[in-house]
Amino acid sequence: MLKIRNLKKAYGNLHALEGLDMDVTDGALFGFVGPNGAGKTTTIRIMTGLLAPDSGSVEFDGQDVVARPGYLKERIGYVPDYFGVYDNLKVWEYMDFFASCYGLEGLTARKRSLTLLDQVGLGNKADSYVDGLSRGMKQRLCLARALVHDPPVLIMDEPTAGLDPRTRLEFRDTLLELNEQGKTIIISSHALPDLAEICTEVGIIDRGKMILGGSLEEIIGKVQTSKPLTISVFQNMDQAIRILKEHPLVHTMTIKDQEIMIGFTGDTRQECGLLAQLVASGVLVRGFEREAGSLEAVFMQLTRQDEERVVLSYEAESDL
Amino acid sequence: MKQNPIYRRETMVSARSFRLALIPMIFNGILALVALLNLYSTLGQVKLTAEIQYSNFMNLYMFVAVLEFVMVVLLMPALTAGSISGERERRTLELMLTTKMTPADIIFGKLAASLSTMVLLIVSSFPVLAMMFIYGGVTVRDMGLLLLCYMVAALLVGSIGICCSAVFKKTMVATVASYGVLGILVLGTCLANQLVLYLQQWGGDAWLVSAGQNGTAADSGHFLYLLLVNPTTTFFLTMLRMAGQEQGGGLFSRLFGNHSLESIHNTWVAGSIVIQLVMAGVFLWMAVRALERKKR
Repeated sequence: MLKIRNLKKAYGNLHALEGLDMDVTDGALFGFVGPNGAGKTTTIRIMTGLLAPDSGSVEFDGQDVVARPGYLKERIGYVPDYFGVYDNLKVWEYMDFFASCYGLEGLTARKRSLTLLDQVGLGNKADSYVDGLSRGMKQRLCLARALVHDPPVLIMDEPTAGLDPRTRLEFRDTLLELNEQGKTIIISSHALPDLAEICTEVGIIDRGKMILGGSLEEIIGKVQTSKPLTISVFQNMDQAIRILKEHPLVHTMTIKDQEIMIGFTGDTRQECGLLAQLVASGVLVRGFEREAGSLEAVFMQLTRQDEERVVLSYEAESDL
Repeated sequence: MKQNPIYRRETMVSARSFRLALIPMIFNGILALVALLNLYSTLGQVKLTAEIQYSNFMNLYMFVAVLEFVMVVLLMPALTAGSISGERERRTLELMLTTKMTPADIIFGKLAASLSTMVLLIVSSFPVLAMMFIYGGVTVRDMGLLLLCYMVAALLVGSIGICCSAVFKKTMVATVASYGVLGILVLGTCLANQLVLYLQQWGGDAWLVSAGQNGTAADSGHFLYLLLVNPTTTFFLTMLRMAGQEQGGGLFSRLFGNHSLESIHNTWVAGSIVIQLVMAGVFLWMAVRALERKKR
């Protein structure tokens, strides 16, 4: 559905995007994460047609939307990290105004607006003035506004920033509901646990480049190997250390009491092979596990420059 | 035909606001007060002298018309300078730009909304001007011409306001810039002519010439054409002609030296109106470009 290739954008000497590639499949709930200043908002602004890239392409369904912004506007709904509301309008008037901006008029617009207001839980607020709404309600109104022309793609930039936990949960449920209805949702957020729970795909951006992208399981799996394997040995510690020291996939080792933490670059099959080798050589293994991955851990690992140093610190602590 | 959504929203919001009632009330209140006081004074004079000075009614008409023109020119930047920058400050401009609305739709919606407020002011004030019909001397055609002058001036000044609003981020800066550009058009062009005339007179025997010694009098030369962009000049020429007080290059000769511009003088008003409409178009085009350039 969405394909971004070699996207570049610079603001003077500052290179916000340096050849970004990104793919979002149809019907995905795509989490777009990265540290501050990584280029998320720039990417989103280009995707929504608010900013022109210096070079590169953005394609929706094979259509170059940089060259055809009209096609883009029909297909996306944009929820920014601010509300953007007219305080002197009533809620239904606000919806009616944006419906007319998409060419929807009269009864069709009114019906669509009221349906959406019901969907986001603002049905009873249709006749209230927008300035009387709470922060969470305003954000839900913005979501309804972005859906007024029934776009297949929803692009959201930090939509839950500043919302209380309950409103965030409600917002998350609404997103899941929309995704189940077939909407493709691209959401940029720093609330990684929330994203991990709902996203089907994730893209991690850092310094203007996509450093990792794919399904959440794939990403966690890819980064998993850098997590240390913890082996609890009940008996034959020396034998275990000797085997691990000679193993080609073990690159670091830390020993604490009866536990050995190793940096092991193999996959799940090779982990099983190592366990079998230990057991076969007479080492009594009480525990053998790799620390579970999470989106937060992956994010922290991929976006920290000194991660290698952390891994190497195991060597410093090792008795070997 | 579908209404421009921005025009519809703006008119709805302004119709709801107290301001829409207040501005015409103050505007027409001032006009009516001035007109009625003048009328009272003139009629009082009639009672004393038993002589009707019809020229007084024409002067009163001109006075009220000038007052209204000044108010139109001074109000329009205030109505338009916050139109785009206000959307930007509310952070609704980007939301509109992600819809099917084009920058041109946004600009024209805003302009139409501002002009409709101004048209309301102008049309609602016409009964005050029409008081002069009682005593004659002003025809409906004159009133139509006056309306045209007001509308062209409002369009030009409104376009300047919207252009500044699109170019500058802050409403305050846009307002100052709008009045600045207006000042250049209205006062700047007159001052430029005065300066040139002064230099001509100061620069040698031309001073003697202008003092009536002999030969051709000094004038501001081709700088006079700068006044084609000045809506005030157009308005005053129209008014003076309406009052039968403008023959040949009278106004220009009085202000900027002995211009012999018989040939262009007859087409000055029409020409300046066309030029000012083109200028309004250029300012609006610049406003649209400014919104499109935000993408760069």
